[in-house]
Amino acid sequence: MSRVQVDRERCVGSGVCESLAPDVFEIDDEGVLQVHREEPAADDLDGVRDAVQSCPARALALAE
Amino acid sequence: MSVNTPAGPVDAASPDIDAIDLSDRDFWAEPPAVRHAVFDKLRAERPFAFFDEPTMEGMEPGPGYWAITRLADLDAISSQPAVFCSGQGAVSIQDIPADLSEFYGSMISMDDPRHARIRRIVAKTFTPRMLEQVVDSVVGIVDDVLAEARAKAEAGDGSLDVVADIAAPIPLRIICDMMGVPEEDRLLVLNASNTILSGGDPELTDEADPLTALLEAGMAMAELMGRLAAERIENPTDDLTTALVNSEVEGEKLTHQEIASFFILLLVAGNETTRTAIAQGLLALSENPEQRAAWMADPSMDKSAVEEIVRYVSPVTWMRRTATQDGEVNGHSFKEGDKFLLFYNAANRDPQSFENPHALDLARTPNNHVGFGGHGPHFCLGAHLARRELAVTFRRLFEICPDLEITGEPARLRSSFVNGLKRLPARLTGER
Ligand code: HEM
Repeated sequence: MSRVQVDRERCVGSGVCESLAPDVFEIDDEGVLQVHREEPAADDLDGVRDAVQSCPARALALAE
Repeated sequence: MSVNTPAGPVDAASPDIDAIDLSDRDFWAEPPAVRHAVFDKLRAERPFAFFDEPTMEGMEPGPGYWAITRLADLDAISSQPAVFCSGQGAVSIQDIPADLSEFYGSMISMDDPRHARIRRIVAKTFTPRMLEQVVDSVVGIVDDVLAEARAKAEAGDGSLDVVADIAAPIPLRIICDMMGVPEEDRLLVLNASNTILSGGDPELTDEADPLTALLEAGMAMAELMGRLAAERIENPTDDLTTALVNSEVEGEKLTHQEIASFFILLLVAGNETTRTAIAQGLLALSENPEQRAAWMADPSMDKSAVEEIVRYVSPVTWMRRTATQDGEVNGHSFKEGDKFLLFYNAANRDPQSFENPHALDLARTPNNHVGFGGHGPHFCLGAHLARRELAVTFRRLFEICPDLEITGEPARLRSSFVNGLKRLPARLTGER
């Protein structure tokens, strides 16, 4: 099972992940990243990989 | 063939590498093909080229800078903010003088922990979800601007200026709308943001002395924003200003000075950039009519087309970083205090990263361009908004002004910093 990991020290809440995988990531009203599915569904994996690659702060990882 | 759109590799005569001077203001008045040929040469043969700083009235020239032109080098520097900092200036080659940094010392020229604190506060007003709420207003504003442009052209001989009538008002109205700037103050905002980002182009600043002009523009904006912020504390609304005066992170609020600086940053960072993408994008489309036709016919291309326009145009030419220690990056050693200019325009045409990099390919995927910045904490805060504005603008343009035709040469901004246009003559042919 693949698992999303967030480096909270690095995250700047840019929301790039949310625009690529909205079912998995959301920046909440406090500006904090919420991961709705730490173990993303197979359908979401492409979006999550995209998000890991695109995260401007390099704060995301996917342990596969 | 127009000089703006080399179909294949740039064919301008191969420049003499030792004669290249990126600090020469005249270089930035050269046609795009000439400039791209120079950057191709630097990227291929001297990826860490050193230049003396341009002279600016009233300022001591600093030690010079490294010009970064390869995407891999740019990203390596961008993603190590502790080694390559922004706090000594990100948007100017010279270190920021103390009297200017009061207004312009915004988060784009800050480092952690101050940067992270402010970015976290403002980022929550710019998330994809928050933007869903402004989408309707983006569509409404774009439609209004296009209807006005159409009416104005039709009342005359059909001619219009893409920059003044379409590209400039759209982002300005959207940001002013988001922030709640009243109608009567919007001209002030436009003029001030022109001054601030003109990089001293004499046509855009009446003031003989660019530093004085900058200072005055900053003061005018700070005054306006101070007034707005105070009003919103009294009478909250649903605009961004209200969100900013009220938002806090870990119990901390932004100070009024921080809010004013942030407003200035938003106005300048959000206006000229998006305006440039629209105006230069339309120019590129007119030079690539088959690409334009394909996009017009297929709304599912909106996403890739917008990314390609940002890559191809690279509205922001560079940002600066400064080394905080001695070190080495991709085999190149540097000393503490060394300055680096990250040339996004050059990295975005790096053949290592993009096939046929000088061609406009609206279907290009993947497209890992650095038009909004490389990896790092300063990645464009407004990227979601800009993408949305561009997608809506081009789609509505295809629908409302399908007969728009570029009729003459663009007047280019002579700025090393923004790849802007001052004017772009066009007309509506009336053939739909
Ligand atoms: C096509 C349009 C745009 C382009 C090409 C663009 C490009 C950029 C670039 C290159 C950076 C610097 C990244 C870095 O230093 O690593 C940046 C930062 C920034 N942009 Fe944009 N931008 C655009 C639109 C906008 C809009 C619409 C807004 C806001 C309304 C905006 C707000 C900002 C802010 C606040 C920063 C500083 C972020 C920070 O320091 O954390 N930009 N942008």
